[in-house]
Amino acid sequence: MEQTKQKLLVVGNGMVGHYFVEQLCRQNMSQYLDIQVLGQEQIAAYDRVQLSKYFEVGNADNLMLASQVEYQANGVTLHLGQEVIEIDVVNKQVFTQDADFSYDKLVLATGSYPFVPPIKGNDRADCLVYRTIDDLKAIERAANRARSGVVVGGGLLGLEAANALLSLGIDTHVVEFAPQLMSVQLNKEGGELLKEKIEALGVQVHLNKATTEIVDGEEALHRMTFSDGSFLEADMLVFSAGIRPQDNLARKANINVGDRGGIIIDDQCLTSNEDIFAIGECALWQQKIFGLVAPGYQMANVVASQITADYLHNQPSQFYGADMSTKLKLLGVDVASIGESRGFENAQYVELIDQQAGIYKKLWLDETGLYLRGAVLIGNVDEYSHLLSLYLAAEPLELPAVSLLTADNSAPILLKDNAIVCSCHQVTKSEICEQVLAGNHTLSDIKSCTKAASGCGGCAAVVEQIIDEALVGQGIETEQGVCRHFEYDRQALFHLCQVESIKDFNTLYQQHAKSGASSLALGCEICKPLAASIFATLENDYVLSEQHVALQDTNDAYLGNLQKDGSYSVVPRIAGGEITPDKLIAIGEIAKKYNLYTKITGGQRIDMFGAQLSELPQIWQQLIAAGFETGHAYGKSLRTVKSCVGDTWCRYGVQDSVSLAIALENRYKGLRAPHKIKMAVSGCTRECAEAQSKDIGVIASENGWNLYVCGNGGMRPRHGDLFATDLSTDQLVSYIDRILMFYSKTAGRLQRTSVWMESLADGLEYLQSVIISDELGLAAELEAQMQKVVASYQCEWQTSLNDKHFLSRFDEFVNPKDAPAPSQNAYQYLRQQKFPIQSQVQRFSEITQANKGAGNIAVTILDEQETSL
Amino acid sequence: MSWVTLCEEKVLPTNRGVAAWFCGRAIALFNLGDKGIFAVDNIDPATGVSVLSRGLLCELNNELYVSSPLHKQHYHLQSGKCFENSELNVNCFEVKKYQGKVMVRKNKPKIVQDSRPTDTKSALSKEA
Repeated sequence: MEQTKQKLLVVGNGMVGHYFVEQLCRQNMSQYLDIQVLGQEQIAAYDRVQLSKYFEVGNADNLMLASQVEYQANGVTLHLGQEVIEIDVVNKQVFTQDADFSYDKLVLATGSYPFVPPIKGNDRADCLVYRTIDDLKAIERAANRARSGVVVGGGLLGLEAANALLSLGIDTHVVEFAPQLMSVQLNKEGGELLKEKIEALGVQVHLNKATTEIVDGEEALHRMTFSDGSFLEADMLVFSAGIRPQDNLARKANINVGDRGGIIIDDQCLTSNEDIFAIGECALWQQKIFGLVAPGYQMANVVASQITADYLHNQPSQFYGADMSTKLKLLGVDVASIGESRGFENAQYVELIDQQAGIYKKLWLDETGLYLRGAVLIGNVDEYSHLLSLYLAAEPLELPAVSLLTADNSAPILLKDNAIVCSCHQVTKSEICEQVLAGNHTLSDIKSCTKAASGCGGCAAVVEQIIDEALVGQGIETEQGVCRHFEYDRQALFHLCQVESIKDFNTLYQQHAKSGASSLALGCEICKPLAASIFATLENDYVLSEQHVALQDTNDAYLGNLQKDGSYSVVPRIAGGEITPDKLIAIGEIAKKYNLYTKITGGQRIDMFGAQLSELPQIWQQLIAAGFETGHAYGKSLRTVKSCVGDTWCRYGVQDSVSLAIALENRYKGLRAPHKIKMAVSGCTRECAEAQSKDIGVIASENGWNLYVCGNGGMRPRHGDLFATDLSTDQLVSYIDRILMFYSKTAGRLQRTSVWMESLADGLEYLQSVIISDELGLAAELEAQMQKVVASYQCEWQTSLNDKHFLSRFDEFVNPKDAPAPSQNAYQYLRQQKFPIQSQVQRFSEITQANKGAGNIAVTILDEQETSL
Repeated sequence: MSWVTLCEEKVLPTNRGVAAWFCGRAIALFNLGDKGIFAVDNIDPATGVSVLSRGLLCELNNELYVSSPLHKQHYHLQSGKCFENSELNVNCFEVKKYQGKVMVRKNKPKIVQDSRPTDTKSALSKEA
């Protein structure tokens, strides 16, 4: 007979309640316990700390921490929309409107509720609070009809709420009772600077205002009258004047609560009832409520350890209070406070005011001046992590305290092994180092195994630095090889292939693979495509020749772009984005015939999706017949040269940007490089072609062309650097020849030009010295190499179609007569086009419906998938 | 007959894969010359998409793998185990050459469980 499991009931599915369940799941406690969770809201736990992000993206998706499905997968039942009405401590039962739940152990994680000051009129329409996603939705709706809004409360949450109002585009005011902002964390000077900065952003701050009444306004919906006789009018109000612990249930069940609220807990987080724990903002420990998430997590850990102790025989831990230091960005202003940030009697201090830069920093030391006891930082919080670790370490300072604020920030921070790096999850430096030694080498690995940097994220930079140091310590960084088969980097391999005229992978492998590498000479998915790219840059041979074909990566191997459902997309070249109506019609007819999804790319051409492998040759046959050639969208090679319409049509143009773009695209098409290359040409300084975001950007001047290099769009945007001005077309082309070939020779594997240039010592200057003044004496060689590539261009699809043997590669199956016909049922249809069934296509009308009021912001939900520009 | 003839040996390219249809399922055949011919499921269990024959062959720690063309997970050609994720694996099939033909053994299905993600399964059942 299976023994009946003990019942553990958790009331509350906020951040702390969720974290608690997570700790139990990590230990697989559902095998011993029947764990049930009751959440009051209709949705599972979400990140309340980052609440105002809701308005940045227009939905809560990125804030979600959990789901019912995930809970279920871990053997935990989550009941949502269940408000608990009563606890019966005698019969150990909990009642909601719809159901009863019995328990053996109960954990209260009921959190807090926003304090609404008892002002007459506080219940008028559009007088709201800021706490839950439902609150945000109400704020969003109210903001739709409001011109102005007031946040009552100038603390941390109040300023977050002000940020929300500001981002909703209404005239924003903050009203604070105290004589300064953030009076809990900041001293007077800090509060003043913060006020200045926030006012500069357009938020009007009203201090020393005690609201007496809210009545009908004359200019706006409401008028707040203040005790000093003044008043303020606004269309909506958000109360954010602090929080109060949600202790009603405990109070009704005769569990001890504090005089001013909060469920009293001991060091085990146990309430006055021996079967009931309380954690997070509803709990009162030594007369203190902890209104931050990190202390709540510590309480959750304590309770988890008490509960698991009976089963796992671990040592139960205790709660000893928590550090309330915090670092955050309020309305774009960096603010941090550590320890006793408002000072204390007999304290020594160091104060730094940089009025020019808008920076204020103050350190509080004990009366001996040896121990850091608190700090406040406004405008620049670079020292936060270092100061926090010194504060938490509680060891005497080695240098005068002033050096902490004047030190070179770029110098690496020296942390002690026991220093707490992540204060949200209490992770020390040594714990991170251990995990690096255990093979977790990236920030995301470390996040998942230690949880460091997964709370507020403020310590991410320090965590990365620790990872790097630990890797160097292990000697891992010194390994430069591209993969497990070669100890050379890309540049060295390129050089070897060039000077030794190596033209095939087998030779390269036999002569230069690591000693001890397998004699199989098979390589891997890193070194094979890399070698193929080098051979292509040097020789520009047909990439699918018998000796190269097995080296090519996914897309190059079939001269198409593989999509998530195994089909391909097809992109013919449309040089400079110029296309005749006949060619447009041809594309349309071909796309229609093969039922392809069509989309205009960012590189001014047309991408056709959903072609089956076996259809590719026929599609290309017809494209070539219509006068197209391959667009190399599948290669690490030149993609497009985007252009504006230029002086042939445009009233403002000063040069013919389209003709130059077409000439450049035709010159460099087919050039295989370490990564894809994008270019653009603008016909005047209005820069409609966005050339400064490209690897090579050309902008027309009155006297010729200005050349910009190493810009980037994508996920790491970078403006190109101005490389040379007023160039003739010949000069321009010879510079671009040299730059591209120098890049192809020296860049790392999959390194875009922007990162490549930043990796060169002296960056732009060095590149100019090599390309313009030819310091290395390479110019002629680089140009000659480029000339070779240009002269040996071929349309790979044309070559391929002439080769019967090649075509057999596009058979879906080697035994096609045994196979069923490909099915078109794997597609769904929307907006008159097809999409793979596995993809989530959102209907725009649904998006706008669901987010009425968020306007265009909602469109960003759609996945921005990198395609094949 | 427990062996099914799929194709002529000479049509298999060296050091590359092709897909074949075998007993109601797509499989990937890899001809590694002297090392032999290997056969695994063509469906990449990480995505549920039938593409493994188009993956690159790799050698890691002297063992043979195919790397999925979609997200580059490596599957061991002899055991079907995924290098990166122990929860993923593919079925492997016995291959022999006989009189210039490539044959695959109809084995009693070793692995009954469908390891593909659930959303794929539902997509496939809609298809059926």
